[in-house]
Amino acid sequence: MPPVQELPSEPTTTLIDALLAEQRSLTAVARFARKHEEHALPAQARFYRDLIPLTKPAPGEQYAFEVDLDQCTGCKGCVTACHSLNGLDDEESWRSVGLLLGGINGEALQQTVTTACHHCADPGCLNGCPVLAYEKDPVTGIVRHLDDQCIGCQYCVMKCPYDVPKYSARLGIVRKCDLCHQRLAVGEAPACVQACPNEAIKVTLTNPSSLMAAYRGAATQENPFLAASPAPDYTLPTTIYKTQRPQVATLRAADETALKPQPAHWPLVFLLVLSQASVGGASGAWLAAAAGQSLAATRLVILSVVLMAVDLGIGALHLGRPAKAWRVFLGWRKSWFSREAIAFGGYFGTACLAATMLVSGRGTGAELNVAMAAVALLGFAAVFCSLMLYVDTRREFWSGFHTGTRFVGSTALLGLAVWLVTISGEPTIPNAALLALIAVALVKLACESTVLRHRHETRWTPLKRTARLMLGQLRIALGLRIALALLGGVVLPGAVITGTLSFSIATAAALLVLLLTGELAERYLFFTAVSPTQMPGGLAT
Amino acid sequence: MNTVVENVPPPNTLLRDFTGPLTQELVQRAGEFGLGNVPDRLKPDAVTSMVCGFCSTGCALNIHLRDGQAVNLTPDANYPVNLGMACPKGWEALTPLAAPNRATTPLLRDAEGKLQPVTWDRAMTEFVSRMKSIQAKHGPESVAWLGTGQIATEELAFLGALAKFGMGVRHGDGNTRQCMATAAVAYKQSFGFDAPPYTYQDFEESDVIVLIGSNLCIAHPIMWQRVLRNRKQPEIIVVDPRKTETAQAATQHYALTPKSDLVLLYGVANLLIQNDWLDNSFITAHTSGFQEFAGHVRQFTPDKVASVTGLTVGQLYRFAESIHRGKAVSFWWTMGVNQGHESTRTAQAIINLALMTGNLGRPGTGANSITGQCNAMGSRLYSNTTNLIGGHDFTNPTQRAKVAAALDFPVACIPTENSWAYDQIMDGIDRGEIKALWLVGTNTAHSWINQNAVPELFKKLELLVVQDMYADTESCAFAHLVLPAAAWGEKEGTFINSERRFGVIKKVSVAPGQALSDFNICRLIANYWGCGEQFREWTSPEAVFQIMKRCSADQPCDITGIKNYRLIDESGGIQWPFPETRIAVCETPSERSGTPESAIRDPRSSGDHRRLFADGRFYHPDGRAKFLFENPRPTPEATDEQYPLQLLTGRGTSAQWHTQTRTRCSPILRKLHPEKLYVELHPADADQLGIEPNEVVCIRSRRGSVTATAFLTATVGRGQVFLPMHYETVNQLTYPAFDSYSRQPSYKHCAVNVERLSGRA
Repeated sequence: MPPVQELPSEPTTTLIDALLAEQRSLTAVARFARKHEEHALPAQARFYRDLIPLTKPAPGEQYAFEVDLDQCTGCKGCVTACHSLNGLDDEESWRSVGLLLGGINGEALQQTVTTACHHCADPGCLNGCPVLAYEKDPVTGIVRHLDDQCIGCQYCVMKCPYDVPKYSARLGIVRKCDLCHQRLAVGEAPACVQACPNEAIKVTLTNPSSLMAAYRGAATQENPFLAASPAPDYTLPTTIYKTQRPQVATLRAADETALKPQPAHWPLVFLLVLSQASVGGASGAWLAAAAGQSLAATRLVILSVVLMAVDLGIGALHLGRPAKAWRVFLGWRKSWFSREAIAFGGYFGTACLAATMLVSGRGTGAELNVAMAAVALLGFAAVFCSLMLYVDTRREFWSGFHTGTRFVGSTALLGLAVWLVTISGEPTIPNAALLALIAVALVKLACESTVLRHRHETRWTPLKRTARLMLGQLRIALGLRIALALLGGVVLPGAVITGTLSFSIATAAALLVLLLTGELAERYLFFTAVSPTQMPGGLAT
Repeated sequence: MNTVVENVPPPNTLLRDFTGPLTQELVQRAGEFGLGNVPDRLKPDAVTSMVCGFCSTGCALNIHLRDGQAVNLTPDANYPVNLGMACPKGWEALTPLAAPNRATTPLLRDAEGKLQPVTWDRAMTEFVSRMKSIQAKHGPESVAWLGTGQIATEELAFLGALAKFGMGVRHGDGNTRQCMATAAVAYKQSFGFDAPPYTYQDFEESDVIVLIGSNLCIAHPIMWQRVLRNRKQPEIIVVDPRKTETAQAATQHYALTPKSDLVLLYGVANLLIQNDWLDNSFITAHTSGFQEFAGHVRQFTPDKVASVTGLTVGQLYRFAESIHRGKAVSFWWTMGVNQGHESTRTAQAIINLALMTGNLGRPGTGANSITGQCNAMGSRLYSNTTNLIGGHDFTNPTQRAKVAAALDFPVACIPTENSWAYDQIMDGIDRGEIKALWLVGTNTAHSWINQNAVPELFKKLELLVVQDMYADTESCAFAHLVLPAAAWGEKEGTFINSERRFGVIKKVSVAPGQALSDFNICRLIANYWGCGEQFREWTSPEAVFQIMKRCSADQPCDITGIKNYRLIDESGGIQWPFPETRIAVCETPSERSGTPESAIRDPRSSGDHRRLFADGRFYHPDGRAKFLFENPRPTPEATDEQYPLQLLTGRGTSAQWHTQTRTRCSPILRKLHPEKLYVELHPADADQLGIEPNEVVCIRSRRGSVTATAFLTATVGRGQVFLPMHYETVNQLTYPAFDSYSRQPSYKHCAVNVERLSGRA
């Protein structure tokens, strides 16, 4: 409420004062009878009684939303009802309404689609959560989020193919639809079910194992869940979309052509690039140690440890609730996030140990070799977990190829660069290393650019959107990324090889800075140009 | 009742937090008062019900109160209009009240041209002295007001009576001219009174529902709810150039060429006549002018109509035959008809179809105009603009005397002529005849057709007063004086919905700062103007309601039987007419017995839903409805080589209201529609123009150019583009054509071109 404006001092006017006073007195309760008896039962019940199951789920069953698409006309009352009846934040609602478009034989078709959490039989959010902040209720099958357990890592946001969990900056956690379990428990319908004027949303009982057969069985051309939505075999969504109109299966998402850069996740950009530089450096240290170059090995390990320490600090920045982040290992059985955290933890600890050994001069050569090998192998494992973390989201741009070539490429490239820095004072110019650097840089750049060929695809696939985004709204970042890669990866080492430039510490440092910045730009594009999997959305401007 | 074991979370452990402050945020508890679970921190201590302040559906909302202040709301399950449902705007009705951009103090433009806060005393002194000096210098004709369909009927009555009978203002109109004037004029000419004949129950009782220029699913979602409650598997026929959400849900959709509706309706009438699919006894007993009408429509042969409308002859036959086969056919229209260059005759062509097939006065029938704003119907009857207060005629001396007596005013204070319509007032400003304009609850600088002309007009004014909830509307930018108005929810009064139902609004929230209700602003002005004595009886909205009752006596809209607000509140709203005797127009004999209160208390009793003309008696002196018709005229701005596309405008989503001054204040509503202007364009047209999906394009008419994101969809026809009206720039393009009877602007058609933005450089 805007503040009350003070009246400047002047003679008060009786009528004005009287009217202002009258305006401030609230009269509805005094002047009108109370609407209901205080303890009256929900008056709305007679409209939703048939829209919720009479019984609790039997063993092997769970609650599920059932949407009659033929009744949904896109009024979006469900979205606001969810917001109001659950007391959510200003912009927050756990339901949204998308649009499918298309046409057969010249006749236009449109279909609005109301959607919320699908309370999947095999939930991606739950499987990805590193701290076990999700539970699938054993009785109701509702996928519940434990708000006080959440550390705000937002990995579930990436893992959910339907873009359901939403991060709240105010709370530092994600929140999501809980199927109004508190209402169902007392025989009331969920907010959206209560609010749909067309009775398009119901809660029904479903058998998750039947979904397994339907969705993970024989591959069909049509999406058996809903047109233009992510393939249901991944998480087994339980929502049932019904329609009498077979044409709906042919429709496309209204927002399939919409190009919207995704959040850059800057802490993750730095975290990934620096951790890969660290592991690359540690690998170099292993080779150096094996070759008996203990000075180089020492420098490399220390550098790797410093990089990783910085990295862990940055990683905490990404979390909404870092105080509880120590629980990050809990999800190791299923979550690549937990596995990555464990692997990097092991890597960092071992690297510290190895660095101590090297600096203090303790340990035999063989022991050192073993320690260095352990550091490098743990580092590789950690980088592998990093890449699996993204591959496991099933976003096409984050496939094994695109993620793998980037992450492994960065590890090699930055490892080489770090190594070059550590030997930059030495008299011999390592031409082979410089040539290797050029080769890695070019191969990586070539692999990265493969995504751009999707720009001409006829259908608006996720990779076409990625390519169009890179060449459109993100073209400055793309140009920068290519320029930096060519400068640091080709021009500068080329100049050293041809003798145009001497290989001083300054040169090596410039090389590292150029390559590091280039990789950060590459990783920025990795996050911003991805096309997230999601339910069909509405118009975008 | 909801202490259920399974909702109690397990205790926290070292590794897992099952509960805590974050979990607590979402805990619910029984809301009591018949509400079901509500968020724990918003549990009310009292609940009251009031009608919504957005559209004319007139849904009732349960306001959850704590210490008398609204904290949340849910739709009222017991109200006969909305049966527990609301659209997104209704759900979010309280949010715009708390917006930071509310007007909280009167603002006066200073010598440097800045709006500065002033006291109400200063504002009133300025208002009165400037208005009076302009009147003295340029004559009483030089002041005008433009009102709204968004404030209470009592406020409209006070505003209209104060302006015309107290201040001697000659010209006043409202934004209802932009949405409802056509329906009002069409009914008045055809039926003898502006009387939408239906009840929403008719949606449920029709076996054929014809929707013309009406995207019910988006514009009136809660009426669509009623269509879906129809258990007769009705034929739903949608006439609309676009494949709207409603067209998608219909059983028949006729995507006619834009603005060929009058030709289509005459063609259908001709087919009905040629096949003798008529209710001859109804025509003979209750109508006049049918033979002339039949002669007129003979020229609209199927071939000719097909070529004009772009439909096939087969479709025309199917349309006509569906009407013929229906036992209860209801015809509904909205802005697609009302906002046209020959809209009154088009609306009457719909009325004619109902008359000739006898589809009037019975359950599930009617020629039914669906209104726009929450109180457009109140404005039509009581704003004292087009009609003398209470649906009377300024030019009729008997009615002037009757109203003067009812008001206890001297008859001499009642003007003997009609005032100018909105467009004529705007022209009057242009010619320099109107020097002072008072805008109440409307945003002309956004909504007026051919918007680019408005700034020049407003600069010609010596005084522009804007009375509004918000101090940052497009119109406030031109104001000399801004009066801060309390909003819906911060004051009392009544609204009249589309089906003639009075509903009560209540005071459930404190107005910000020094904002006053429009009612109280009128009281202040009356006092400062020096006519406080004349308006001594006008002390509260409910006191004015009693005056309105007296004015309504013996009118078709007689409400003398409505005792007070409390009766309306307890009855679930009351439809007019409701005379003291209440014998006039009830549909069944059983309804006529018993006291009005008991007959309507149960929401499901038939008394809750009343329609007009069950006895076939219309309001013309001869008791007959008239067939009215005219030759169709081409659209005023035809497409040509330079401007080859037809621009259609209309409602975008159910989350946006008009110029968005209120709905843009709700973050959740803002999420439900695109942030910026978009244009719907057929993919084949886009191909030809080389336009990519989601590309920003330029749309140009002879009056202006705007940019919008291209949304390619075959739901618009070839050669057509659609722009949602809510975005500020759209009316820079529209062509100022007006229906000659209703003076309603034709927002639905003009010629434009679309091109790539990059191609322009």
